[in-house]
Amino acid sequence: MRRIFISRGHIIGYAAFALAILVVPLFIDDPYLLNKLARYLIFGILAAALALSWGYTGILNLGQAVSFGLGSYCMAMTLKLHTIPIQTGAAGLPDFMVWNNVKSLPWFWEPFHSTAFAVVAGVAFPVVVALLLGWFVFRARVTGVYVSIITLAMLVVVNLVIVDQQRFTGGFNGLTDLADLKLFGIDFDPYSGATYYLIALSLLATLMIGEFVVRSKTGLIMQAIRDDETRVRYFGYDVARYQIFAFCVSAGLSGFAGMLYAMVMAFASPTFLSVQISLSIVIWCAVGGRESLIGSALGAILVTGIQGGLSETPAFLNTWMLIMGALFVAVVLFLPKGLISIVQLGMARLAGKKISALAEDEAPLPRGHKLGIG
Amino acid sequence: MSLLELKGVEVQFSGFRALRGFDLSVAAGELRCLIGPNGAGKTTALDVICGKAQVNGGDIIFAGQNISHFEEHRIARLGIGRKFQVPSVFRELTVKENLHVAFCRRAGVFANLGISAAKANADELEKLAELVGLKESFRREAGILSHGQTQWLEIAMLVAQDAQLLLLDEPTAGMTAAETRKTAELCKQLKGRHTMLVVEHDMGFIKEIGDVISVMHQGRLLAQGTVAEIESDPEVRKAYLGSGGIRGA
Ligand SMILES: Nc1ncnc2c1ncn2[C@@H]1O[C@H](COP(=O)(O)OP(=O)(O)OP(=O)(O)O)[C@@H](O)[C@H]1O
Ligand SMILES: [Mg+2]
Repeated sequence: MRRIFISRGHIIGYAAFALAILVVPLFIDDPYLLNKLARYLIFGILAAALALSWGYTGILNLGQAVSFGLGSYCMAMTLKLHTIPIQTGAAGLPDFMVWNNVKSLPWFWEPFHSTAFAVVAGVAFPVVVALLLGWFVFRARVTGVYVSIITLAMLVVVNLVIVDQQRFTGGFNGLTDLADLKLFGIDFDPYSGATYYLIALSLLATLMIGEFVVRSKTGLIMQAIRDDETRVRYFGYDVARYQIFAFCVSAGLSGFAGMLYAMVMAFASPTFLSVQISLSIVIWCAVGGRESLIGSALGAILVTGIQGGLSETPAFLNTWMLIMGALFVAVVLFLPKGLISIVQLGMARLAGKKISALAEDEAPLPRGHKLGIG
Repeated sequence: MSLLELKGVEVQFSGFRALRGFDLSVAAGELRCLIGPNGAGKTTALDVICGKAQVNGGDIIFAGQNISHFEEHRIARLGIGRKFQVPSVFRELTVKENLHVAFCRRAGVFANLGISAAKANADELEKLAELVGLKESFRREAGILSHGQTQWLEIAMLVAQDAQLLLLDEPTAGMTAAETRKTAELCKQLKGRHTMLVVEHDMGFIKEIGDVISVMHQGRLLAQGTVAEIESDPEVRKAYLGSGGIRGA
């Protein structure tokens, strides 16, 4: 197996992060808080996924909420079918279908009786959608801001379809009153430690998958594409394939995040496929450092954490959005590589002192630091 | 037998004919210089070979295959490497990473997933950096290299690519006299191992490295021969009139 860590600092960083998110539940006995933290970690997965496509490959996907939303609906559908039918007819139809005069379960709902199918679909469906879209966009050599516009348009269309097809999707309300996921004899109650750990491990797995990709030669070529897409072609690489690959991996991880989100929220709704979520992910990456997977994930946790804290503190009730805006602008202006660049610089300084010890680890110097400090 | 053959190649840019029935034949192992006044179509000729410009007529045969309508990456994989007039390397990647990207042995996404970006072929890549005098900058970002170093890096990248045919567009542009000499040395080292097609303006450089020279004018092949033959050719003199003669071009 190839190495995925590039330096001792890299390993230490990850170990500290893993430890931090794994011990947190030991100090929290408020299930609501635990549920909230679990949500922040899911946003971390989303941000790391965007770092793969945007930070490493230069594809600013503004339609990432499509993958997230589709994943959440896949999970919600199976959880809905596992509820004990209260308001349903004899056919065991989900309640909203009964209200909408649907007589029998639509064919595409049938397989969601199987949890395993739903879990696979929650990743596979977003990947297939990304594959199709990516095929058209990247084969046609669409680049830069046009990719963002097309992905954004896609998001709006999918959102409209889901809202419009109320009979099958629950429309505006989405799929509510879901059962808990039960897997391997574990009941994943949204407020339980089990769910939190499932999500924390998922985030760590996401980061490892991401590091595996970006530390490979494929990851290197992705970065070269970000730098100068046309130049890469003249070395013999089919650029579109690499772009589609990054786009799909990102979509798969986002779909997985969506499944987890449906679990912790106990519903799925069109708000999961909103422009607002897509833009938030961009902000998390920009704040944390889009060229770092762990940086982006930390950005998401930090921003949503502060946001949650401020918006629930009476003193900041009217000003928290202003504060968040100011934070964002400050980071983008003074730390173009995000907050993680401070950490990287610190580590590079430390490593510089014992460069010989680290020589074989070849910790690369952080790139292009334009720090407004020190 | 010639490795590369262009037969009556036409290239148009929205009506303007940049190449007008351009013919060229380069034998395997040869170092061919391509000269011509500004706007003669030299860069376009290289562009059309590597797939950057569309062929509007004629044929391009490389190693017995008609590559006229191949996509860029397929042409590259057949063994054609390109150095651009404006040096283009990956500025945010290190010298080592640049060379590693160029070192394309397997082009597939999944094949490359198993290869470590940091470890694989490190020794070979370092030797290449040494060849062009960039050993000191091996782990530095390419964006901080000087103009001359960037040109050398791009040449080293073509060598890493191990292209059979190297297309070099003005490899000494913007270089000091000392740097130009170093580049000539480099070209001589590569001569024989690679077939080269070099676009140049610097006659001193051409005399140093070149055997046969092809002269282009208004999208056509105007003359071909040794430096002495070219310099005494009345057609060539006429073509260069107004641009200060062949030496000043
Ligand atoms: N993409 C393009 N669109 C339109 N015209 C172009 C394009 N590329 C080149 N041309 C025109 O084609 C002609 C040949 O250009 P080319 O760059 O091949 O010349 P060159 O011989 O390389 O000149 P130089 O010595 O200045 O590099 C010029 O008149 C140029 O203006
Ligand atoms: Mg030119």
